[in-house]
Amino acid sequence: MHEDSDWSTLSSLVNAAMERIKREHVSHAEAFYTSTRSIEVSIRNSEIFAEDKVTDAGVGFRVIVDKDKVGFASTNMLNERAILEAGKKAMSIAKASPRMPNFALPDAKPRLRLNGLFDPEVAEMTVEEAVEVAERTVSAAESLDNRVTAKDGRVSYVAGWRGVKNTLGVECEEQETRSYIFLWGNGRKNGEVTSGCSEFEFGRGARLHPEAVGENMARRVISLFEAGPVEGFEGPVIFGPEAVSYQLFDVLVGALISSNVISGRSVWNMETGSKVASDKLTVIDNAVLKDGFASRSFDDEGFPSQVTVLVDHGRLESFLHHAATAKELKTKNTGNASRYPRSSDMVRMITGIGYRTKPEVYPSNLVIKQGDKSQEKLVSEMETGVLVEAMAGFAQQGSGLISAQLSRGFWVQHGEIQHAIKSGMVLGIAFDWLKQISAVGSDSKQFANSVVPSLKVENVKVVCA
Amino acid sequence: MFDLLEKCLETSVASQADVIQLRGQERTVTICSVRNGTVEEFSSITLKGVGIRVFVDGKSWGFSSTNRLDKESLKGTFTDAVKLARATSALKKARISLPPVKASTANVVVPVKKPLKDFSSEDVVRIASDAYKGTKATGPTIASAELTFVGLEDDKYFLGNEGIRVSEHATRVLLIAMVMARSEGTIAPASENLGHTGGLELFDKTPPETFGRTVAEKAMSLLKAKKPPSGRFRVVIHPTLCATLLHEAIGHPLEADIAMAGGGFDDQISRLVSSKLITIYDDGCVPGGLGYFPFDDEGVECKHTVLLENGVLKSFMHDRTSAALASATPTGNAHAWDYSAEPLIRQTNIGIEAGDFALEEMIEDVKEGLFLEGTFGGQADANGDFTFGFRSARWIHHGELGEELRGANVAGNAIEVFKTIDAVGKEATLRPGACGKGQWAIQGRVVPPLRCEIMVGGVSE
Repeated sequence: MHEDSDWSTLSSLVNAAMERIKREHVSHAEAFYTSTRSIEVSIRNSEIFAEDKVTDAGVGFRVIVDKDKVGFASTNMLNERAILEAGKKAMSIAKASPRMPNFALPDAKPRLRLNGLFDPEVAEMTVEEAVEVAERTVSAAESLDNRVTAKDGRVSYVAGWRGVKNTLGVECEEQETRSYIFLWGNGRKNGEVTSGCSEFEFGRGARLHPEAVGENMARRVISLFEAGPVEGFEGPVIFGPEAVSYQLFDVLVGALISSNVISGRSVWNMETGSKVASDKLTVIDNAVLKDGFASRSFDDEGFPSQVTVLVDHGRLESFLHHAATAKELKTKNTGNASRYPRSSDMVRMITGIGYRTKPEVYPSNLVIKQGDKSQEKLVSEMETGVLVEAMAGFAQQGSGLISAQLSRGFWVQHGEIQHAIKSGMVLGIAFDWLKQISAVGSDSKQFANSVVPSLKVENVKVVCA
Repeated sequence: MFDLLEKCLETSVASQADVIQLRGQERTVTICSVRNGTVEEFSSITLKGVGIRVFVDGKSWGFSSTNRLDKESLKGTFTDAVKLARATSALKKARISLPPVKASTANVVVPVKKPLKDFSSEDVVRIASDAYKGTKATGPTIASAELTFVGLEDDKYFLGNEGIRVSEHATRVLLIAMVMARSEGTIAPASENLGHTGGLELFDKTPPETFGRTVAEKAMSLLKAKKPPSGRFRVVIHPTLCATLLHEAIGHPLEADIAMAGGGFDDQISRLVSSKLITIYDDGCVPGGLGYFPFDDEGVECKHTVLLENGVLKSFMHDRTSAALASATPTGNAHAWDYSAEPLIRQTNIGIEAGDFALEEMIEDVKEGLFLEGTFGGQADANGDFTFGFRSARWIHHGELGEELRGANVAGNAIEVFKTIDAVGKEATLRPGACGKGQWAIQGRVVPPLRCEIMVGGVSE
C-alpha cells in the first residue's frame, strides 16, 4: 500500500529545502512532513456505497526570523521547487508578522522508539479485504434483528509516515498504521424510527472485530424500541463511555489545554494542586499507551512522548503543553503538540490537518483512570436515576454548559433499566458534574483521543418534552 | 490542468468505465489569526491534486485521488478507481440507470471587486488586528478574543466523458470572531462569522473593527445575563439562529441520501410536512453566498430547487445516483470539499422565502416566550431529531422584550417543530455557514426570522 522509496524521496527533498532555508539567515526553521495512503469503504443503507483510495503527502514549514517572528506555509506539491517555495513563503510571512516573544521549538532529546505503531498487514490491505470487513459488519448488525438497518458506516485503513526536523537538532521519522470501523444505524418499529445508534472500533493493527461492532450497534437500536417519556428528574446519572468521550471530553480538554489557560479561555486558570473534581477522578495523558490510537514516539514538534498526570484524585496536577506554551508558563513541555486535533472549529476545518497546519496543544490518549465496578453493577446499585449512553449537542467551551438531547438515555428504577427515554435532555455545567462524580466504571473504551469509562454523577437535571 | 485530465481520458483505462469524472484543483488558503493581541497564526497553504471517480458495470462507483501529478501516478490512480468500483459491483443488488447530464463547456470566474492578490501580507494582518482592536475597545472584561481572517482561492477543473468540461475560479473571504468575557468566575462566550464568495470588498460594508466590537459587546452583555429556563416555549428565532435551524433541522433531512437512510421526509413527496407558511429552496447561484457553485462536482448545473412549497414537500436535494434511485432529476447538490474527497449530497445556499411579518409584529403576539439569537452550531439525526445551541435569549412578556438570558441548546424533531411555525419574517438575510457531514463544506443560508414552539434546555434553578 505504501512505498518506502516515496518517503525517502520526500525526506530528501525536505532535507534539501531545510539546508537552503538555513542559509537565508533565519533564526530557526522546522519542517513537518507526512505521506499517507488510505483505503476507505463506506456503507450506506445496508450496502457498500463507495470505496476510496487517497494518496496524500506534503510538508509544512515554520520559519522564525529575527528571533521571534513566525510564519507557516505548506504544500502538497512534491518537487524541489514547490517545497522550497513553501519554505520561502513561510519566511516571507514571518517577516511580515509581529513578534511572538514566547515562541519556542523543542530542543533535540534522546529518542524514544515505541513499538506497536505499525502493522504491515494494514499497509498491505487490499480493497477486497476492506470490503469484506464492511460486509461482515453490516451483516452482523442486520442479522441480529431484521428491524435494524445499517444506514451509514466506514471501514478505514491508513498507513503512512510522519517526520519532523528542526534547526535545533530534532530529527525524527516514524511509520504508523491505523484502522477503524464505524457503523451507524437505526430501527423501525410500528412506523416509528428510532434515534441513530453507533459503534466504533479504533485500532493500530489489521485485526478488527466487525461482528462485534455490528452486533453492538444493533443491540443499541433494539434497546430504543420501547422508548417513553419521563417526568422531570434531578438525581444520579451514569454517563457511559461514549457520552464521556464526546461532550465531557470536550469540556475537560478545553480546560486542560495550556493555550486556553494563557488566553483566558480555560475555567481552570488556577494553581496546580487546586481541587477541580471529585476524589474519584484521575486523568492522565498517555502518549505511549499500548495499542493507543493516538500513541506515538514523538509529538508533532518532535518532542518525545510521555505520560503526564493531569488530574490526580480530583487535584489539578498539570496542563497539556507544547514547546511555546511551556515556555510562556515557565513549565515543562508535556509533548502535546498535535496537528490532528479533533475540532469543529471552522478555521481548522478549512485548513485541514497534518502537514497543512501548525501544531496546537491537544491530548494524545486522554485516559480517565477506571474504577472497579462494571456499568451493570453501577446501574444495579442505583435506586432511581438515568443512564446516558449517548447524547447529541455540543458542550459550550469555556463555560462548560451542556444541554444535550438524550439520543440513548434510559430510565432506571430499583437497580434496573425500565425503558429508553424519549425526547429528553440532560442539563448542567460539566465542571460542576466533575465535582459530583460518585463512582467510576471499569468499562474503559478506546476512542480516537481518549480511553474513558462510565462516570456516575450526582444531582444532574434531566427534562422531558 | 485540463491537459493532465485529458491525458487520463486518453489512456486505455478509460474504456473500462461507463462514467468518468475527473476533478483537478488548485487551492490557496491564507489564514491570519490574532489572539489576545498576538498574531497566533499566519499561514499559507497551497494544494494541488486530482480526484478520479468512475462508474462501472452500471452499478458501482469507485474513487481515488492523488497529489502526485506525473503521468504514471495519474494512471495508477485511475486504475485504482476502476479496481475499487469493480470490487463491489458484484455485491450491488440492482443496476442504476444514471440520468444523462447536459453536455456543457463553461469557464466560470466569480466576479471580485477587491482581489486577494492586490493586498500585502501586512494588509491581511491589519484586517485581523483591526477586528481584535474592536473587541478590546469594549472594555477590560473581554478576557479572550480570537479574530481569524481566512482567504480561500480555488481553481477547479471538471472533465467528464459525457461532454462536460467546466472550470471555476472563485475567491472566498471570511472573518471569524470568538470572544470570551469573564468577570468574577463567570464566563460568557460569543462568536460570529462574516463571509462571502468574493474578495475583500466584504469589509466595505462591515469594517473589521466594527465587527469585532459588535461581537465583544454581546459577550459583555451576557456576563450580567441570567441562565435560561428549560421547557417547551413559544419562541421567535432571529436569522442568526434560524440559519442553524434551517440547515440542521430541515436541511439535512431534505438531502436525498439522508432521506433514503430513513429520514423523516422519506416517502412524503407531495404531502404537507410543515406549516403552510414555509417555502424552502436550495440555490447554488445566490450572488455572494458562500455556497455559490454554478456547477456541482459531477458537472451538473446548480439550480434554484424548490424543496418545500407552502409546506408541501416538492423535492429533495439530489446527486446523480440518488436522482436515479428516486426517478428524479439531479439538482446540482453533489459537492466535495476538495479534490481528495468524493462528492456527497450537500446544501449550497439553502433558503426560506420571506413572509409577511415585521420582527416587532412577531414578538408582539407572544404572551410568554423567548427570543433566541446567535448560534453555537448543532447536529441532526436522520429521523429529524436535532440539537443546537443558541448564543443568547431574551424573555418575551406580553409582547415585549424583557431581560437578557445566556445561551443553551434547543432540541426537537424537525417535522414536529416546523408544523408549529405561525409567522415568517419579511426580511431574509444571507448568512455564511459550514457543515461537517462526512467532510467539510462551506455554505450559505438565506433566512428570515421565524416563530415556532421548541424545547429549550436551559439550566436556571
